Amino acid sequence: MATYEKILLKNMEQPGYTGSLADYEGTGGYRALRTVLRDMQPDQVIEVVKKSGLRGRGGAGFPTGVKWGFIPKNHPGPKYLCCNADESEPGTFKDRQLMERDPHQMLEGMAITCFAIGAQTAYIYIRGEFRLGAKILEQAIQEAYAAGYLGVNILGSGLTINIYVHLGAGAYICGEETALLESLEGKRGMPRFKPPFPATHGLYQNPTVVNNVETMANIPHIINRGGEWYASIGSPPKSCGTRVFCLSGHVKRPGNYETPMGITFRELIYDLGGGMRSDKPLKAFIPGGASAPFLTPDHLDVKMDFESVALAGSMLGSGGVTVMEEGTNMVWAALRLMEFFYHESCGKCTPCREGTSWLVQTLQRIWNKRGRPEDVGVLDELCGNIPGRTVCAFGDAAVSPIVSTLLHWRGEYEALIREAQETMPRNKEIPVFTS
Amino acid sequence: MLLDRFKNEVEAILSRYPVKRSALLPLLNLAQREEGFVSESAMKEIAKVLDLTPAQVFETVTFYTMFHLKPIGKFHLQVCKSLMCALVGSDEVVVWIQKKLGIAPGQTTADNLFTLSVVECLGSCGTGPMMQVNDDYYEQLSEEKVGRVLDDLKRDGTCSLKTGPFMYPQPLAK
Amino acid sequence: MAITPTTTTDMITLTIDGKSATVAKGTLVIEAARQVGVMVPHFCYHPKLAPDANCRMCLVEIEKMPRLQTSCSTQVAEGMVVKSASSPVVQNARKSVLDFILANHPLDCPVCDQGGRCDLQDFSHEYTATTSGFKELKRVFPKEYFSPLIETQMNRCVQCLRCVRYCDQVMDVKALAPMGRGTMTEIKAFGAHELDCEFCGGCIQICPVGAITSRLSMYEFRPWMLKRTDSVCGYCGDGCQITFQTKNNDLIEVNSTHGAGRNNGDLCARGYFGYHVSVHPDRLTSPLIRRGDALQPVQWEEALELVGQRLLDIKTKYGPDAIGGLITGRCTNEDIYIFQKFMRGVVGTNRIDSSVRYGHLNAMHAMQRVQGTHRWAVNFDDILSADTLLLVGTNITETNPITGLKVKEAVKRRGAKLITIEALEPAIGSISNIVNLAHHHLGIKPTAYAGAVLGMLKAVVDQQMVDPEVRATAQSYANDITAALTSLSWDAIQAQTGLASEVFIQAAQVFAKGQKVVILVGPGVLRSVGGFGMTMNLLDLLLVTGKLTKPGCGLAPLAEENNDQGAFEMGGTGSVLPGGQSLGDPDVRKRLAQAWGRPIPDTPGSSLPQMIDDAQHGKLKALFVVGENPLASLPPSSGIHSALEKLEFLVCQELFLTETAQHAHVILPACSYAEKDGTFTNTEGHIQSVRKAIDLVGDSRPDWEVFSALSVMMNDPMEYGDVKDIGKEIHNLLPGTRTLGPAPFPAQPDSTVIARYLKTDYQRDIATRYQWPVEDAVAGAEDMIVQVSQSLFHSGKFSRKAKGLLQVEPAGKIYLHPEDAARRGIGEGAIVKVSNRLGEVITPVGLRERIPRGVVMFPEHFDEEVRRLLPYSVDSETQVPYCKVGRVRVEKMVGT
Ligand SMILES: Cc1cc2nc3c(=O)[nH]c(=O)nc-3n(C[C@H](O)[C@H](O)[C@H](O)COP(=O)(O)O)c2cc1C
Ligand code: SF4
Ligand code: FES
Repeated sequence: MATYEKILLKNMEQPGYTGSLADYEGTGGYRALRTVLRDMQPDQVIEVVKKSGLRGRGGAGFPTGVKWGFIPKNHPGPKYLCCNADESEPGTFKDRQLMERDPHQMLEGMAITCFAIGAQTAYIYIRGEFRLGAKILEQAIQEAYAAGYLGVNILGSGLTINIYVHLGAGAYICGEETALLESLEGKRGMPRFKPPFPATHGLYQNPTVVNNVETMANIPHIINRGGEWYASIGSPPKSCGTRVFCLSGHVKRPGNYETPMGITFRELIYDLGGGMRSDKPLKAFIPGGASAPFLTPDHLDVKMDFESVALAGSMLGSGGVTVMEEGTNMVWAALRLMEFFYHESCGKCTPCREGTSWLVQTLQRIWNKRGRPEDVGVLDELCGNIPGRTVCAFGDAAVSPIVSTLLHWRGEYEALIREAQETMPRNKEIPVFTS
Repeated sequence: MLLDRFKNEVEAILSRYPVKRSALLPLLNLAQREEGFVSESAMKEIAKVLDLTPAQVFETVTFYTMFHLKPIGKFHLQVCKSLMCALVGSDEVVVWIQKKLGIAPGQTTADNLFTLSVVECLGSCGTGPMMQVNDDYYEQLSEEKVGRVLDDLKRDGTCSLKTGPFMYPQPLAK
Repeated sequence: MAITPTTTTDMITLTIDGKSATVAKGTLVIEAARQVGVMVPHFCYHPKLAPDANCRMCLVEIEKMPRLQTSCSTQVAEGMVVKSASSPVVQNARKSVLDFILANHPLDCPVCDQGGRCDLQDFSHEYTATTSGFKELKRVFPKEYFSPLIETQMNRCVQCLRCVRYCDQVMDVKALAPMGRGTMTEIKAFGAHELDCEFCGGCIQICPVGAITSRLSMYEFRPWMLKRTDSVCGYCGDGCQITFQTKNNDLIEVNSTHGAGRNNGDLCARGYFGYHVSVHPDRLTSPLIRRGDALQPVQWEEALELVGQRLLDIKTKYGPDAIGGLITGRCTNEDIYIFQKFMRGVVGTNRIDSSVRYGHLNAMHAMQRVQGTHRWAVNFDDILSADTLLLVGTNITETNPITGLKVKEAVKRRGAKLITIEALEPAIGSISNIVNLAHHHLGIKPTAYAGAVLGMLKAVVDQQMVDPEVRATAQSYANDITAALTSLSWDAIQAQTGLASEVFIQAAQVFAKGQKVVILVGPGVLRSVGGFGMTMNLLDLLLVTGKLTKPGCGLAPLAEENNDQGAFEMGGTGSVLPGGQSLGDPDVRKRLAQAWGRPIPDTPGSSLPQMIDDAQHGKLKALFVVGENPLASLPPSSGIHSALEKLEFLVCQELFLTETAQHAHVILPACSYAEKDGTFTNTEGHIQSVRKAIDLVGDSRPDWEVFSALSVMMNDPMEYGDVKDIGKEIHNLLPGTRTLGPAPFPAQPDSTVIARYLKTDYQRDIATRYQWPVEDAVAGAEDMIVQVSQSLFHSGKFSRKAKGLLQVEPAGKIYLHPEDAARRGIGEGAIVKVSNRLGEVITPVGLRERIPRGVVMFPEHFDEEVRRLLPYSVDSETQVPYCKVGRVRVEKMVGT
């Protein structure tokens, strides 16, 4: 089995490593922050990150250095950094580990980012359920304040950087960056239309960078070892560095695996994950969280980098890989995800709000053997009428389970409907829809 | 008054934000932690502290699924039912709990100790099936484990099976 | 000097469906399309609101952009090529959005009041969305009671949130909450409580479908059965344009079209829900004559003959000045004009007064004296574009709600700085509170306005902020004012206002720095002791800071009744002839006499307080009261009771049997604003047409017709074919009184008048104005200041006949701050005794956080009892009666 040098999980996998400040410092922690404050200009930091080729780990994969570069230099008011720790994409659980096991790694990344973009205040928007993570972060932040890494005049540089933890309260959509900002402003987490972008009109209408936890955690390493070093890992030029992939579903050893980008799904699932948990063969997998279209065994040798997965018709998204064995009904799988999307649609856009509720009901009917011959056509049409017509990317994501399962396993839908036609007693009441 | 009792905490929360309304979720969290749900009087009080109308607080509260407008059981059992957990048996967890406590999702036991909910993904997909009980996660559940958790909670108010700082898979001992 | 061309760069040219459009930079594509006649369907967009782009109905194709764009949130760019109806993709997308909306829509058009004027219906028709693949169950919201006036049917909601956004962005009320998320989002008030808000009706008006409708007109009509009559609201001086919707002579509803009138389609509760006053069953339907103790219905002829005869008799016996007239500012300009012409020309007396006397007159006289105008030198648009606004003594949301919206827009959307001097505290309540938006709030007691205004002036002088030009050209004025203010100590100002010098200095600095500064002044000044002097001082404030003559700057006194401004301009006060001209000017009298063909009496006019006095002393024998109700407006200490009792003859021309009318010898039934034509002049001086929407109720008649008929009875006929004839006579006489244009031209301050004021005229009363009236000694136990004041839901006593408004506010309560209540051990709804040496009153209690501590307020609309506790005084300069503020003690009733 191939082994890979880990960057983000390296420390925490050392026996006895607790993630305390002392432990973190013991592995060279906060060296990058010192370097930056002592030797670098903000623009130089941004340059290094641009050179590293680091792309956002939250799902969209936007080049991090470029995003920072959009922050206006001469804005008269405050600027903000928001660390997106909302981690709610089904199939994803890496940020949780990064926060709970090595909190200082991301805090150092955040402090450096604040320096680079000229922010004095940063918030960690963490999903409300992650009480433990929030507590660990709070403690780490206190340690960092006490050690002078945060607060007024950090490390004697004259700079002020404050980091606060802000708990959400149960809403997947608050992971979307503009919904996150609305939520952080104390409102309903409804995404804003763009433009304007957060880089110019973010938190309280001030320039704001929103970055994922994993993105932040990479920053100290990039500073310490250089942009070129990072850009040499993985599948450059478009997919540099490692990623923490979250493996779940019907595999022997689910969990978080950090590898360079560009290994194949087969390697992840069979080598690292130990293969299928029972003897049944693999039937389908989701390569990048619930929003990513399903792939088939034919795609096992696709490389896990942004372009290759896109070429295969899906996306690397948040890095959550979910594996399904033979015997899993794909209509059922799509329905389970559709229920999620129905539950989580914020309700702002008509197509997403009404579309998810319509789709979920139709799928429920098909799954409950109450399908009608025209239903597959309706699904096709609905799925065509939502993406690209909504404020945020949720609308695009919400249809991907159905679109992709219809693409690869249309027969399963048709079979259920056929069965319904054969067995459904006439005039039987349609089951009542409950939300 | 609720917030009078937590004056320092409220002030600390307010001090983190340049715009008062940002303190809304933290204050609601505080209120719910104290009362077990977000009461009308808490909403009014918070509205006052933040210069909002009660309606503004209300609309925000109802957007987020973690806030309860009515009291629930002392232990809130939330079983994740999203696809990843469902693949590894979350539906059975619900059945086990139902069998043991006699409550269906949405119900509370007669002694007001347990309320059962099925919820969407809690960020623990690799260690399912799982449930969250109040602040704590219990993962890789089996029927026996669920039974122990429920017994412990009932008896001790806590259970040692809860997950600590998360790491999975555990690194193999070298 | 280089001239930079600005117009070309600020305009942008684009193509929409093949049509070229040139529009201002920053315009939204949807608006640009509208300008070239391309109507883009939409639900969530509304020009009054910030775009939210949630409905996705307005999608268009824009060349070089990857996906369809929402035209409601996309700004135009040079060379942009937009396809709307011309793009099949767009048409398809819109069709699918409609399909989505209709999926969960109940399709209950037959029982929906919006049917026939519903955007959803119209677009469905346009996109022939007749078939839907939707075979699932529709979402159903359990029906819940929402509010006494507003009905919701949430199954019809398209979740555009226009109502919620309007309530927040425009009204600043924030009473509506979208509850839950996703398809199950439902518009609610707070929790399960019924809606408690300003009831402006805005949510009903802005809802594109039938999700929010009026309970007052529920199930009573289909839109095509309604006859529209555009008219003007009869309640306050804002002069909102309204549309009466009638069906077979029934008043079904009132609304206002977006963009219409000075109100731009916005209304308040009085305008939207108050219209039933015209069709109240208590309306007087025939003339009544007193026979013994009873009032007996008679024919008009008999009543008119009697009135004519009695007036002639009294005139012969005691002379014309034994007869006085009083008319309400609710009448039209034409009515008031004819009334004063009748009194002056036919009766032969200048003893005329009108409701403008109750306070607005202070501003009229002060402006005439300082700037030579009796109108604002600004208009509503200047409020919108002001950079600094000073509000003094106007709880503007409740007195002049629509002017209040202009202030809100200026502050919230356009970044104006707001300074408030108000007896209000910042606090959130169910009614928006203008001081919440203030950058500098000078919170005082209702007795301290004079001190606060002086504080502002003193700060200007102290901080050397007197305009250099004023210093140079009006040295003695500047010196005298400086001297007067220097002799006032900050300690004394603080003692009266409770505010330290820094507070004034900070506010004054902002004020002085402003380039476009408007002072809005309301009843707290105009109707309070010393009102005239305070208004003069506010004009001084504009003068010394060099703003009085600057374009966009000026004093804007707020008229309370709908036509107070017109009452003044039409000659409704004795000493002022039509056009605001002085009775004392012989030339003016001569010209008017010529025009009328009748002599103008040269006896001095007299005010209502003087008439009361004269009646008590037997010098006034008859009073002709039109729509006024002095018995209900003045406290007993004014002597109004005994005055009316002493009269030999009292005629009341009225809609209802008011307190005053109950004492009348003859009552003539008048008709309401919904039943007549004419004009009203709003507070900013805009003359607008009032139009007859329903037939006359019973035998009632327009007021002018009655005066005209009486003149015939008195053998001195003033005959008119209709209202238009009167209108013609008025504008032949007074240029600039036509109903013209969308907005009034602000009056121009007269530089010769200002010069005269600066040179000598100011000296007349500077000594008295620059000190405040001595407060009556605080009688130990009377520790609370009581103020009777205007409520949002009523207007005078008149609105108490409007069933909609009574549902919101059915009776009076004494309102006080929760802390003051707690100290007395009383809570909401408790019964208290309010008393002082003038008497005592038992009343329920309401708690309001915005009422200053130490103050209680009571709505004047229900003040029959409370009025007895108020002291009465009269302004020596303007004869304005003051009776709004007093001192009381408030005690818990034992056993409650
Ligand atoms: C519906 C939706 C949900 C999202 N949820 C998350 C999330 O939970 N965590 C996250 O980091 N990014 C999430 N994102 C992506 C963010 O919008 C944003 O792109 C990201 O936080 C940027 O950080 P990065 O550049 O470091 O990836 C979500 C996006 C969408 C459209
Ligand atoms: S696409 Fe869905 S989740 Fe995103 S803003 Fe629109 S309604 Fe909300
Ligand atoms: S009008 Fe543009 S999205 Fe609703």
